[in-house]
Amino acid sequence: MREPIVIENLTKYYNKFLALDKLSLRVAEKENVGLLGPNGAGKSTTLKILCGLLRASSGTAYIDGINVAGKPEEALARIGAIVETPEFYSFLTPEETLGYLGRLRGMREDELRRRIKEVIELVRLEEWGTVKIEKFSRGMKQRLALAQALLHEPPVLILDEPALGLDPRGVVEFREIIEGVGREKTVFFASHQLVEVAQICNQVAIIDHGRLLAYDSIAALEKKYQSLEQAYLKLTGGYVE
Amino acid sequence: MSEFEKLRVVIKYEFLKHMRRRRLYVILGIALLAEALVLILIPVLRDGYPDNVMVMAAMLTVGPSLAAIGAIFFAGDAIAGEFEGKTGYMLFTNPVSRTILVIGKYLACLIAVALLIVFTYIIIAISLLVIYQEVPIEILTSFGLCLLYASAVLSLTFFFSAISKGSMGATVMTLLFVWVLSSIIESALAFTGNPYWFLISAGGDSITLPYGSITELMSGLGMGDFDGMLTNFEPLTIGMAAWGMVIYLVVGFLLSIWISKRRQLA
Repeated sequence: MREPIVIENLTKYYNKFLALDKLSLRVAEKENVGLLGPNGAGKSTTLKILCGLLRASSGTAYIDGINVAGKPEEALARIGAIVETPEFYSFLTPEETLGYLGRLRGMREDELRRRIKEVIELVRLEEWGTVKIEKFSRGMKQRLALAQALLHEPPVLILDEPALGLDPRGVVEFREIIEGVGREKTVFFASHQLVEVAQICNQVAIIDHGRLLAYDSIAALEKKYQSLEQAYLKLTGGYVE
Repeated sequence: MSEFEKLRVVIKYEFLKHMRRRRLYVILGIALLAEALVLILIPVLRDGYPDNVMVMAAMLTVGPSLAAIGAIFFAGDAIAGEFEGKTGYMLFTNPVSRTILVIGKYLACLIAVALLIVFTYIIIAISLLVIYQEVPIEILTSFGLCLLYASAVLSLTFFFSAISKGSMGATVMTLLFVWVLSSIIESALAFTGNPYWFLISAGGDSITLPYGSITELMSGLGMGDFDGMLTNFEPLTIGMAAWGMVIYLVVGFLLSIWISKRRQLA
């Protein structure tokens, strides 16, 4: 079984603060895995290391067998990512932004034009495609973030709170889009929203203080703890956000 | 996709950024205003233009010099802005190395500044042609030195942008370094008879050197020969100033790449 995402003994210190403590997990091909944990658990740190934005203090992260720290460009070519709430160049329009990112990824011009149209329609930004991003709300930027993550049809999606800042309708649309594309892709998805994770993912990894507390299918966790919420509460010893 | 093709893409979109930002036009406006003031004030204040075309050409370099300094305002946010504005979360998750990104940003800035400098030199050439019916060939050397100075200032700004948390901090630090600190040290060194070619402000001074030394230019404006005042003055040569600028250009640029590659986006 192929494992597009492999994390081995990942440790990350921010000065003396231990954010990740020998975290290890593997995500199988076309699995949709939710990464759950309270604030400061290490979710974003894990995703940022996978995206080459942070260097691990020790341990290794692999995308499709490629060491992200060793060959970042090769690894990043295989992923589409939304990390935190990304900002975009305000002087560009969504079409120009996607054109820039697509060309950086070496997409052919005809393919790029087709995909820009498709992803803009997918995230419902058709009317805003040629409007400068300086006029965009947070939710619209989040939609654009999803569009750029899907633009090059990557086999792996790494998403950090992708529905943050969206209105209720946007949240529902977002979940449907990710649920749809997730059938054909490997999705590693960090969220505080248990409902969202339950809808999109078939497996969850629960972490706290940088350590892996549980990694199992949602069905198995529900069987063991009655519900995903109970599993989260008992394992993290806290509250549901 | 080759690294060169990626570089071309980065330059294209970074240059588009400069063309769409107001600061390019503000800097151009300030540079042209400076040239216009020289053209208007000199004949008003001293009863006509100087007899020597070289003196007037040197006076007009205030325009391109300001355009070169304007590089600081283009480049201050080049690296720091990606971290401060969080656009790095979008840009750095693409399969393009930080080295290519920094080189592309640098070249786009340089093209934008070079355009400003070319424009201000065209105005100088036209002005001299109208007033003196001639354009000294030395204008080409001055233009080359101005481009070199802009490149060095850009490198320095990229260095400060790489080490700064914010764009404003990078811009202010570079301005203080180039305009205040370097100028003060240069004055102290020059007037005590010590070499100062290695200071970035000396690079700025060198832009007028093709038209004559500082004493020649001052004499040309009817300000005396300064023989008594400048006995200890260490003259600057074009060659030495150029070497100084090349050092800033290379060291600043390499350091900015090295720091950018190590910088993390937490």
